[in-house]
Amino acid sequence: MRALILLSIFWMFSCYAGAQTNAQLKFDEANTLLKEGDYLGALNAYRDIEETGEISGSLFLNMGIVSVEIDSLGLAKYYFLKASDFEATISEANEALTYVDSQFSRKSAILPKLPWDRAISSLIKNVGAVHVFIWGFILMTLSVLIIIVNWFYPLALPKKSILFIFICSLSVLTIFLAFYVDYVDQRYKEGIIIAKEVPVTTQPSEEADILGIAYEGYAITIDTFASEKSEGWYYIRLGNGQFGWIQPKGSKIL
Amino acid sequence: MIKIGKTCSLIAILFLHFVGTQSVLGQDISVEATLSETNIFSGESVRLDLSISGQSLNSINRPQIPSINGLRWLSGSTSQSTSYSYVNGRPSVTYTYGYSFVAENPGNYTFPSLPVDVDGKRYSTKEISFKVLDPNSINKGNAPRTPDIYARLEPNTTNPVVGEQVIASIVLYFKKEVEVTSYNPSPGWKAEGFWKEDLENNQQIKITSTLIGGVRYQRAILMQTAIFPTKSGSLELSPLEVVVQIRDRKRRRDIFSFGLGQERKEIQTLPVTINVRPLPPVDAVYSGAVGKFTISRTVTPTKALVGESIEITTSIYGEGNIPLIVKPEYDFPDALELYDPSESSKINRSKQQISGLKTFTDIVIARNEGEYIIPEQKFAYYNPDKQAYSTVNLPPLTINVKADPNRKISNSKELRFDVNPSTGLAYWVSTDNTSLTDRTWVWFLLILPAFALGVGFIAKNYNHRLNNDSAFSRSQKAKDIAWKGLVAAGAATTLKEGYHLLEKSIYQYVSDKLNLPKAGISAKELTEAVLEKTDNETAKELKRILDKCETISYAPNASQEGLEIDIERTQTLLKKIGKMV
Repeated sequence: MRALILLSIFWMFSCYAGAQTNAQLKFDEANTLLKEGDYLGALNAYRDIEETGEISGSLFLNMGIVSVEIDSLGLAKYYFLKASDFEATISEANEALTYVDSQFSRKSAILPKLPWDRAISSLIKNVGAVHVFIWGFILMTLSVLIIIVNWFYPLALPKKSILFIFICSLSVLTIFLAFYVDYVDQRYKEGIIIAKEVPVTTQPSEEADILGIAYEGYAITIDTFASEKSEGWYYIRLGNGQFGWIQPKGSKIL
Repeated sequence: MIKIGKTCSLIAILFLHFVGTQSVLGQDISVEATLSETNIFSGESVRLDLSISGQSLNSINRPQIPSINGLRWLSGSTSQSTSYSYVNGRPSVTYTYGYSFVAENPGNYTFPSLPVDVDGKRYSTKEISFKVLDPNSINKGNAPRTPDIYARLEPNTTNPVVGEQVIASIVLYFKKEVEVTSYNPSPGWKAEGFWKEDLENNQQIKITSTLIGGVRYQRAILMQTAIFPTKSGSLELSPLEVVVQIRDRKRRRDIFSFGLGQERKEIQTLPVTINVRPLPPVDAVYSGAVGKFTISRTVTPTKALVGESIEITTSIYGEGNIPLIVKPEYDFPDALELYDPSESSKINRSKQQISGLKTFTDIVIARNEGEYIIPEQKFAYYNPDKQAYSTVNLPPLTINVKADPNRKISNSKELRFDVNPSTGLAYWVSTDNTSLTDRTWVWFLLILPAFALGVGFIAKNYNHRLNNDSAFSRSQKAKDIAWKGLVAAGAATTLKEGYHLLEKSIYQYVSDKLNLPKAGISAKELTEAVLEKTDNETAKELKRILDKCETISYAPNASQEGLEIDIERTQTLLKKIGKMV
């Protein structure tokens, strides 16, 4: 039995290591193409790696650089934003983003987010729903253990009941927060306009009235739940707070 | 003794008379349907009254209204009334059920017979012939009858251009004998192909008199709406429904204002066709404005610093399709950075037309010093009065931009892209965006604390009972004590001692399990207590073992093997008692 478990662990580790080695090899090949000036070839090679599910900050940074070289600044912004999520490439990605943003002739007015939305966005980006849930679970386990111990060996603590209620409530709230963070993360996706201009319409129809134009590089928020109801359309919120519908082909979800 | 024979006969005669009368009365049932009007104009409402009369009505099953050609049933407008009367000295009751309909397409139709179940018997109404008339015949003066009240949708023009303001009035026509006590146009009127803006309507309605087809009518404009065609072609304004409460002036006056003699009517206007002409071509900046406007364009500030935002404001003021005017596009110098424009509008709905101010603001930022000129622009709008475009010249705008003395010199560095590709060993991670709710382990972890709490609670209660309930405590510990005794019996040096320990274990176990006194209990009492809780066989086996324990000193064939067998049997027996108890 022990041998079987060890064998399984070894096999899983081999698969993981194998996938990483494969991604690294492809990455090196794509870098060679980039060095040789074959930008489209390099971009395709990078995309192949991305499709395997193995990603890295270096991968997105190089994809952004290739996009700058082929003069697709919206796409470049998209990849640099993805690269900025990785600690190893955050500074280069931010520097590149400053450059790319300065090159767009049209810029969207940005309506600042509400404090609660900012807090949730920060939790999604920096902590993640899974980690919030684990914290909630630890707190809940701790509170359950304290309650059980107190049943058998009554604890001599001041204001014991209030303390128990506080810990239990905190753990339940943390778990609820984890599910809310997960809900927001699943529902609202950040995106970038990569086409030169995309019409934003009042309804998911080409015949609908045009609300405005979203230009290359505009940051958008996509409501995936609302978008599911109209196939071939995204329901979006522009940086200036306007809501409308766009066709997905001119945008990319982060 | 009292004679009661005559009294009983009298009661019997009265009873028979009552029953006989009831059965006779039950046969006088009449079911009748009447239409309030048989010459109905399309869109006009009509009422069907279903009257059921009789001297005794116990149960009435109202009919289901079938689909009727030429009429549309307004299902929410069913009414019911009851009246009582004396006919030939006998009481009679009439139930009247009212159903409202709206007439649809013109033509000759028949209202079908309706089945009604009264006191378990089926009755049927007679068929009614009716005619739906074309409402256009009212204006032509050749209608078979003139309606007391009707409504029309009257646009001020039926031949506008795209974007032209059309005032659509909802007009009520009614005869002098009719008093309109209230009206309510149904919400949600849709004018497909038009942009609709409600106008401020007067609270006091002005009533004028007019002759239509030789009949004098009162004319009242209920409300007005501004509509703007958004495309050319033949567009139809769909009918609008108006609900009015009317009262016949000829009837007795309702001096206490109780609403007596009032009638509710649903009236529909006729569809109206509007032929929308396309706009002629134009050789200037045109942003869809149709009407009479004053247009201006300004820039603020005219002297700006590098990086400072500059606003170019275009104001369009006047009467016309203000809500439909879109932002004019200007040729801005390439060196200016363009930001999202903003727009605002102030709409005035009074004076039976839409007027107001629309403002568009373009925001630009100059990244370098210099003089920027936004060139002169011709701005056109269509004037329906002149049937031609009017053009306004917007003069050129000049912006002088100077360097910001407080700005740090960092432009050249910012605008250079010098990020190098990342090569070498990368740190790879796998993408996983599975939702929390789709992860099995999340649900397992959620259940775990609840499960632990449940187990802990059960353990806590067990412990508490063990410490506080002596019977429960004895019962729980009985097995361990008995088994120790049986082990000791097996290890005994003599048979007598062995059976003595065996007997002691049985006494201990049974008395603990059944919460019997620890001492002073006989074998007979013990067996009877076991018999109460278990079966006869178990009690018999117990008695046999206890008898053997007591008489072992006199048993001639007793041996060590026999003792071991009895210990095993005792173990089985005690387990059985334990389970059954």
